[in-house]
Amino acid sequence: MISTGNDIISLNAINITRTKQEKFYSKILSPTEKELYNQAEFAAIPFENFVWLLWSIKESAYKYLKRNNPTLVFIPIKFTVKQLLIPPGYTLTNFETTQLEGAGFNNKAALKGVITIGDDTLYSNSLMHRELIVSVVNDAENFKNVCWGIKLIDGSDPEYQSTAVRKFLVERLKEVLHLDGLVIGKNAIGIPTVLKEGGELPVAVSLSHHEGLIAYSYR
Amino acid sequence: MTRTEILNELKKVFAPYTTNKEMLAGISDQTDLIRDLKINSANLVDIIIDAEAKYDIEIDYDSADKIINVGTCIDVIMEKLNQNK
Repeated sequence: MISTGNDIISLNAINITRTKQEKFYSKILSPTEKELYNQAEFAAIPFENFVWLLWSIKESAYKYLKRNNPTLVFIPIKFTVKQLLIPPGYTLTNFETTQLEGAGFNNKAALKGVITIGDDTLYSNSLMHRELIVSVVNDAENFKNVCWGIKLIDGSDPEYQSTAVRKFLVERLKEVLHLDGLVIGKNAIGIPTVLKEGGELPVAVSLSHHEGLIAYSYR
Repeated sequence: MTRTEILNELKKVFAPYTTNKEMLAGISDQTDLIRDLKINSANLVDIIIDAEAKYDIEIDYDSADKIINVGTCIDVIMEKLNQNK
């Protein structure tokens, strides 16, 4: 079954002091992953951003796999980011817009990762700005069939964000599928599904929200 | 320490990470941390670390696996407290 997984982190909402404490980051990063940070290319990225980048990659991978493995539990340390490539000349910039949508990550300054858990190997693309990190995970290096969106919203109430991200995705799907009456539901294990007149459409979707940020991916 | 005492203390641990104060006041073993309390998954590590500090215990990865709802959270804390005896 096709799948997708995404995650968004509001860097304005993280606790920087706590993130830098070993007792915190050691529950997210393995010693090998911490070594990745010592690559020269990461010098311009604050350590707290690196920790939350890996979190977002791992959570996206978890969401990707959970669809077909209902008993999977998210323990970040059990997901291994084996490789993380920063685009040449990468610098941390402001997000500078309120909404961004795309298909694939060509022409984007995306950080590309390879993740393993057990026998599964997955691939990630992440966008990181001063305000946010968004990651999307796929089972192939080619993301051309993976669509994604990021939007800034007013309001940090989880219920409001949950409604807003569903509306954001439905508006996009309505445009690309030329279908009205789409509803985002949830299956028995909490995976979001796209419904039309009660029937599930063969579209894999993933939703995420954190503080005033919402994001989707679909395939 | 009884399950009820731990449950009441957990309300204080969860409080900074949930806006659903009404649900928090009436939590039971079955209350799901993410689905019911709307705790963002990004705060689950915070909760584990806060619980470790509160009870002077260490919650390893395999135990963290089990923390899905309030009941399993209490189970893990009680198990670790008993190991420290």
